[in-house]
Amino acid sequence: MRWLRFSIGLLIALTLHSLLDSFYPNALAFFNPYVILVAYYSMGGNILGAIVAGVLAGFVQDAFSNAMFGLHAFSLTVCAYVIAYINARLMLRGTLAFGACLGGAVIVNEIVIYVLVNILVRQRVEMFEQALLIKTVFTLLFGMLVYQLLVLFLREEPIDATRRQTTW
Amino acid sequence: MAVPTDVIPRRPTLLFIVVLSLLFVLMSFSSQTRYIGETRTMFERTVMTIFSPVPKFVNWIGRTAQDMHHGYVDMRGAVNENVQLKRKVATLTGENLRLRQSDGDVRRLRGLLSYAERFEMETSMAQTIMLDTSGRFKSIIIDRGSTDGVEVNDVVANANGLVGRVVLTTRDLSKVQLITDSNCSVGALVERTRRQGIVRGEGGAAVELYDIPALADVQPGDRVLTAGIDGIYPRGIPIGTVVTAEPGQSLFKEIVVRPAADFRSIEEVIVIHTRKIPPGVVRYAP
Repeated sequence: MRWLRFSIGLLIALTLHSLLDSFYPNALAFFNPYVILVAYYSMGGNILGAIVAGVLAGFVQDAFSNAMFGLHAFSLTVCAYVIAYINARLMLRGTLAFGACLGGAVIVNEIVIYVLVNILVRQRVEMFEQALLIKTVFTLLFGMLVYQLLVLFLREEPIDATRRQTTW
Repeated sequence: MAVPTDVIPRRPTLLFIVVLSLLFVLMSFSSQTRYIGETRTMFERTVMTIFSPVPKFVNWIGRTAQDMHHGYVDMRGAVNENVQLKRKVATLTGENLRLRQSDGDVRRLRGLLSYAERFEMETSMAQTIMLDTSGRFKSIIIDRGSTDGVEVNDVVANANGLVGRVVLTTRDLSKVQLITDSNCSVGALVERTRRQGIVRGEGGAAVELYDIPALADVQPGDRVLTAGIDGIYPRGIPIGTVVTAEPGQSLFKEIVVRPAADFRSIEEVIVIHTRKIPPGVVRYAP
């Protein structure tokens, strides 16, 4: 069931991606729906599930962008792992905790991409700090809004929150 | 609330490291294939094929909503008229709107077709369904794929000028690398002086013209065309106009070119099915 919900979330993220591309091609410079999905899923604390979610969401984002294939999968997997690892030890719940995890995920995601682009393509990313700030703020605002809507209307906590997986 | 560390699995960490290593290898492979312009990995094509219905569906929804919106506008105008006149006006307004829209479409398509006729090579029309110009890697997705004869390295242009080249095809979609992409290079020449150089994307809105000697005559306003020397882009397609041409610190000028195509509003494009140079010729080493 949780994978079904994740798949639906992934389809919504891709729909949002292509929908915004039609109206405003620079939308992904302001916020990243895939990070929100991965952060939300990883809040459950299931490390294995979070890794798989990060890889899947990243591959979808890679397929529809012109970045090196695997770049976003790599960065989202790192974000997913870090969030799930922290949540496997500390029960972080609530909007503020989600906001903190999401903000951290956006920053980690952008820094990992920055480092990888520098290593593999040897290119300088211009206006990195400004882009990071804008993306963090907008993703945080949008992500917390989505989180609030899920809590209010679906009475939904992060996927798998109550069923912490300790072995696999 | 802390959870005892002995119940936290360790193997996911090992899996995490393995996954990251595999992804790094995949990325390295991908970054190499980008430069030689060959087809992307099979895996990338598969993922794109699986999820391609989503952007197509979104595109269809957008068009349908637009049609519905037009219908609604037509209806609102007719409500204030009497019954007979309302029908007449609604019909005429609807017809007028459609004609205006058709007129615009015809003019735009006529421009594209007359442009397409300039090429001796086979061409086909395509529509843009996704546009990703947010990061430094810039691409568009068009609604024509391998079943329509689109191949990797086919050149994409619109009535204004060069758009880019096809870097990946699936059955019914293709990914086009824009000339503003930071990994894109095009053999170019200045139309007025015929001086040849290389246009490279910088990940921004403009592109730069390299390898033009500091003493060469290049001025703002000069048109830059494809030179047809890179084995991909045919000669004579407008790339853009020189904005600034400053003497650089080295032996070459620093020239910024504004692309002829407006990448923020690409709708229809022409795919030029260029003659491909056989890989054996490209890789031939005596």
